Amino acid sequence: MTNFKSFIKNNIRQYAMALALVVIMVLFQIMTGGILFKPLNITNLILQNSYVLILGIGMLLVILTGNVDLSVGSVAAFIGAISAIFMVQMHMPVVIAVVLCLVIGALVGAWQGFWIAYIRIPAFIVTLAGMLVFRGLTMVLLKGQTISPYEESFQAMANGFFLSDVFKVGGLNMIAVITGIILSLVFIFLEYKNIQSMKKYNFETLPLPITIGKTAVIVAAINLLTVSLAAYKGIPIVLILIVALIAIYTFITQKTIAGRHIYALGGNEKAAKLSGIKTKRVMFWVYVNMGLLAALAGLVVAGRLNAATPKAGTNFELDAIAACFIGGASASGGIGTIIGAIIGALVMGVLNNGMSIMGVGIDWQQAIKGLVLLAAVAFDVYTKSKSNAD
Amino acid sequence: MKLRKIIAGTLSMVMTLSVALGFTACGTKDNSKLVGVAMPTKSSQRWIQDGDNMKKQLEAKGYTVDLQYGEDNIDNQVAQIENMISKGAKVLVVASIDGSALTDVLKKAADANVKVIAYDRLIRNSENVSYYATFDNYKVGVQQATSLVKGLEADTKPGPFNIELFGGSPDDNNAFFFYDGAMSVLQPLIDKGVLVVKSGQTGMDKVSTLRWDAATAQSRMENILSANYTTEKVDGVLSPYDGISIGILSALKSVGYGKGDKEMPIVTGQDAEVASVKSIIAGEQYSTIFKDTRTLAEKAVKMVDAVLSGSEPEVNDTKTYDNGKKVVPSYLCEPVPVDKSNYKQTLIDSGYYKEADLK
Repeated sequence: MTNFKSFIKNNIRQYAMALALVVIMVLFQIMTGGILFKPLNITNLILQNSYVLILGIGMLLVILTGNVDLSVGSVAAFIGAISAIFMVQMHMPVVIAVVLCLVIGALVGAWQGFWIAYIRIPAFIVTLAGMLVFRGLTMVLLKGQTISPYEESFQAMANGFFLSDVFKVGGLNMIAVITGIILSLVFIFLEYKNIQSMKKYNFETLPLPITIGKTAVIVAAINLLTVSLAAYKGIPIVLILIVALIAIYTFITQKTIAGRHIYALGGNEKAAKLSGIKTKRVMFWVYVNMGLLAALAGLVVAGRLNAATPKAGTNFELDAIAACFIGGASASGGIGTIIGAIIGALVMGVLNNGMSIMGVGIDWQQAIKGLVLLAAVAFDVYTKSKSNAD
Repeated sequence: MKLRKIIAGTLSMVMTLSVALGFTACGTKDNSKLVGVAMPTKSSQRWIQDGDNMKKQLEAKGYTVDLQYGEDNIDNQVAQIENMISKGAKVLVVASIDGSALTDVLKKAADANVKVIAYDRLIRNSENVSYYATFDNYKVGVQQATSLVKGLEADTKPGPFNIELFGGSPDDNNAFFFYDGAMSVLQPLIDKGVLVVKSGQTGMDKVSTLRWDAATAQSRMENILSANYTTEKVDGVLSPYDGISIGILSALKSVGYGKGDKEMPIVTGQDAEVASVKSIIAGEQYSTIFKDTRTLAEKAVKMVDAVLSGSEPEVNDTKTYDNGKKVVPSYLCEPVPVDKSNYKQTLIDSGYYKEADLK
C-alpha cells in the first residue's frame, strides 16, 4: 500500500492532466447529452484541433529552451496565403506547392532562429517582430482578399479520410479497426520492452497491477477511438499526420542526443554549453523546426477551410502555448513532454468543442478557457512546490 | 570604437527609415485642402477598395488625401486621427473600428473645427459627428433573410424547413442591425412553424462569430451538424458575411452535403467577395448582398465637397441613426441582393468585377 501511495505521489503531475482530460470528456459527454463521443463528433474534434496539435509539438520544443514563439499564427497565415497563390492562382501541382511551402516555412524559422541563436536577441522580441512582419506580409500577398477554392487533393490532406470506402464490414471501416488493433499490440510490446530494459539497469519499475491497469486503459482508449472513427468515415488523413508527428517527436526528444540537448539547454544553458553542447546550433534548429511545423499547420488550416484568408491563424500562438503549459511544460524551460502538450491541446479542444455544442456564447468560452489555463498551471506549481518540500 | 559603432548603427537606422518613409510621404503639400480618411483594416478587400475609391475621387476634385488603416486596433486609429488633426485636415472621414471609442478624439476634432463624417459604421456617444454615410444595414439583414426564404421557397411550400443562424462579430454595431433585419423576416415564419432552428441557438449572444472569422464559423457549423443533424437534413443557413459562408460551406461539404441526394442547403452572405461569387457561380453558396462601395465612397466624397464649399450635404434619413447624443443626419445607400441569376448584370456589367476575376 505504501508502494501505491508513493507511486501516486511521485506521478501525480504526470498523470493529473490525463485524468483531468478524462474528467472533462465525461463531463461534456453528460452535459451535451451524449453528443461528444458520437463518431462524427470525435472526427470533428480531431479536425477542428489539428492545428493546435501540430503547433503544440513545435511549441513544446521552443518552450523547452525556455522561450516562446509568438509568430506561429502569423507564419501559418503567411504560408496559407503563399499556398493559395501557388495552387489557386499559379495552378502549381499540389505536391510541389506543398514542398515549397514547407521549405519557405523552414526558411522563416531559420530567419528567426538566426537572430535568436547567433545575434542573441531575446526570442520574445524576435518572434514578436515576426508576428507583425508575417501578418503584414500576409495582407500584402492577399490584398485583403480571400482566395479559394483549392484542388480536391489538397483539401483531402486536411479534411479527407484514409481509404474511406474500401473494405467495410457492417458499416465499419475495417482499416481503422485493424489499425487500432495493431497500434494496441505495438503499444503493449513497447511497454514490455521498456520494463525489461528498466529491470536490466535496476531502475525502479511501476508495481505490476498499475502497469497492467495503465496499459489496459490506453489500449481501450486507442480501440474506442479507432472503432468510433471506423463507424464514421475511417481515419482522417490529418490524424495519421499528427500521430506520425507525435511518434517522431517523442522519439527525438526522449531517445536521441539532439533531443536530450534541447532539455539540457533549457535546464541550464551555461552548464549545457560547458558540457560541450553546441547550444547556439540547438537553439537555431528548434526555431527552424517551429517554422516548418507552423507552415504545416498553415497548410492544414487553409486546406480545411478551403480558402486562404487574411485573418487565418489569429491567436494560434496563444492556443499552442496554452496547450503546452496545461500539459505540464515549465515556463522556465527544461521540463515538458510531447504527450503532455498533446493532452493540453486536447483539453483545450474538448472545451472548445463541448461548449460550442452546448451553445455557450464566445464570451463565456474565452473566460472559461482562461480560467482552465490558470488552474492547470496553478496546480502544476502547487504540486511542484510540494514535491520540492519533501 | 564603441562610439563609432553606435553612430554607424544610428545612421543606418535613420537611412532605412527615411528610405521606407520615402515611399509613403512624397514631400509636403498644401494643407488647406487636406482630407483625412481613417479606415479600419487592410485584412478585408472591401476596405481597401473603399479607401482607394475615396482617395481617387477626392484627388480628382483637387483635395489632398491622408489615407490611413488602423489594422483593427482601436488605439492605432485614435492616434491616426489625432495626427490627421494636427496635420491640419479640414474634414475627416472615419470608418471606425469600435464606434464607441472615439468620443475623446472627436472632441479634439471639434475643438480644431474639423468636421467628421462617419463612414459605414456609426460613431456613437459623440455630438461631434456631422454626417453619416452608410448602407442600409437593417435592410441588408432583411435582404439576406428574404433571399433565404426565396431559396427555400418557404413562402409557397408548407415546410417545415430546418435552418440555422449565424451572426457577425458582437463588437461591431452593424452585426446587430444585420441580425435584427434578418429576424424581422424570419421570426414570423419561425413562430408559424414553417422554419425550425433545430439547434435552438437563436439570439446574438448565441449565434455571433467573433471577428467575423471563417474558421470559427466552420467549427460551430460542424458542431451543430453533429449535434442535431445526424438523421435530419439542414435546409438553409443564414450567414451574415461571405467569409463566414465559406466556413459554413466547408463544414457542410465535409459531412457530404452537395453530393448525391444530399442537396446543398441555401446559404446566404454579404459583400460579394470574389471567392464567394465564384462559389455562387459553382452552385454552392446561394446568394450574397452586394454593397457597391464605389457608390458609398462617392456619397462620402460629395459630403466632403459640400462641407468644404460651405453648402449642405445631401441626406436621406434624419431619424434612424441616433448615436446616443444626437440623431446623425445620414445618407443610406441601397444594398443589392445577388444570386446566380443576376450576378452578371449587377457585378460585371456595372464594372465592379471583370469576367476574368470570377474564373
